[in-house]
Amino acid sequence: MFNFDWLSDVSQETAKMIFLCLYAVIGLLVLLLPNEYVYEGIAKEDRHWWNNLKLWSIAVLSILASIYNNF
Amino acid sequence: MLAGIDYFIVIAYIIGMLLLGLYFKKFVNSSEDYFLGGKSLPFWAIGMSIVVSDIGALDFVGVSGQAYRYGISVGNFDWVGSVPAMLLAAFIFIPYFWRGGMYTIPEYLGRRYNQKVRTIASVTWILFFALDLGVLFWASAVLLNVLMGWPIWISIVSTAGVVGLYTYFGGITAVIMTDVVQFVIMFIGGFALVFLSLYEVGGWDNMVEKIATMGPEYRNHFDIIQPQNTKSPFPWTGILFGLTFVMANAYMIGNQSIVQRCLTAKNEWHAKASMIFGSALKMFIPILVLFPGLMAVVVHPGLADGDQALPLMIKSILPPGLVGLMFAAFFAGLMSSVDSLLNSTATLFTKDIYEPFIKKGADDKHYLKVGQITTLVLLVIGVATSPISSDFPGIYVAIQTFMSYFQGPIFSILLLGIFWKRSTEWGGLSALVIGIGFAVYLNVFKEQFFTIEDPFLYISWWSFLLGVIINISVSSLTKKHTAEQLQGLVFSSKILSKNKNL
Repeated sequence: MFNFDWLSDVSQETAKMIFLCLYAVIGLLVLLLPNEYVYEGIAKEDRHWWNNLKLWSIAVLSILASIYNNF
Repeated sequence: MLAGIDYFIVIAYIIGMLLLGLYFKKFVNSSEDYFLGGKSLPFWAIGMSIVVSDIGALDFVGVSGQAYRYGISVGNFDWVGSVPAMLLAAFIFIPYFWRGGMYTIPEYLGRRYNQKVRTIASVTWILFFALDLGVLFWASAVLLNVLMGWPIWISIVSTAGVVGLYTYFGGITAVIMTDVVQFVIMFIGGFALVFLSLYEVGGWDNMVEKIATMGPEYRNHFDIIQPQNTKSPFPWTGILFGLTFVMANAYMIGNQSIVQRCLTAKNEWHAKASMIFGSALKMFIPILVLFPGLMAVVVHPGLADGDQALPLMIKSILPPGLVGLMFAAFFAGLMSSVDSLLNSTATLFTKDIYEPFIKKGADDKHYLKVGQITTLVLLVIGVATSPISSDFPGIYVAIQTFMSYFQGPIFSILLLGIFWKRSTEWGGLSALVIGIGFAVYLNVFKEQFFTIEDPFLYISWWSFLLGVIINISVSSLTKKHTAEQLQGLVFSSKILSKNKNL
């Protein structure tokens, strides 16, 4: 049990898909955050798409997913 | 091994760091300035500082060595082992800590659970940081001695002198701003080695092709996901459960030296952005520390000790000038680790031990002085205890193992503390104590329980799980906290709305 023997039948490809699904779920959760919360600390007139932290997060997750997809 | 130009680069780097660090002395007028940089720092500086303080001189050699032995799966630690946890920290935990005006993680645990939990967590961190300081001095100095022929005591005294001076006077602002320069040096030195090594092996595709033909032991070298039954320490089950779910979160959310940096941000947006920016930079770290180890498989095949991979690559590939830059990068790794330990330990001691137990209600200048004196005392202890490492060669690994006992249980009480209102002070305290005890037990009898080489990922997962179970069980049987006691300490959907009072 301590060695996760019960998961020994899971192939490397399936395991990779589990990681990719995890990134997709995190990305979805990030997208669900209200914009007001994400921009908190920036004056309303200074809020632009480039300081939207949701976009930053999605960009980082996309790069991460592409690394796992390619290796 | 060093040429004249290399010495010039290294000495210019050390003097430059000292002057830059001392420049920030004029911004320190209160304890908030010293410990939280006056809450005035921008996200980019904090993000760079988080990344550079996470990678020391020893990591360059150690990770390259592991990449030589196990391949690209070592990169999991900076990829899946950082990014999800940093996003969770950015959007959930850091806003709570930042809005609560906290200085330390144990301070949150004290408010959420009780003073005992705060003290146990704080004392554990202080002990770890203080022990780590001396060991880090010695291990890095030995490494620099082997690599560059630099005398051990010159390395220790020059690092302690430079880092000690700017950390004593400039506090965390000096730590973070010098980290920015150290980050740039580290990236220039690291990328120079990677590009020249790539040229040496004839490009990426050529390297992959050559390694694939070197034998069955290299069959999985370019698989980031290793099978569950691998003999390496990185099966995918350990990476998912131990690293992604527990150790990464414990490190990014429960580590004082990481979180304290985010609390220096000028506003909540910068605090969140620093973590996300740091996660983007983190993805480059494997390129710097892992790729040279992979390329060494082609350039220097058949090494008995993988840790020789990076030193050999530096010696055989880098020209004069770039060797000096790489040496400066090692120094940068050492200095950024030491300044983080000094400032974080001084903060923990002053805020969690001195202020509540030794002298309550003193004026702010008094606590500023205590923080500075603690920094100095720690530095002296670090230098004085560093030779102990030569008598106990396994002490560095032992201290890191000691910390892995703590990661699972501390994350279990942080997670339930912020997401579950019903978690009580006795639930948190028993989960912490029993969880640490269970992790020690699993480690002592690891041959009986585990089949992989070094099961630290599995140990952190199972001790985390037990911590959660104990916390839920004991909390259900003990008196719950009132709504007033939990104000601003437990996750509420209100944090996602405009309600700044949580």
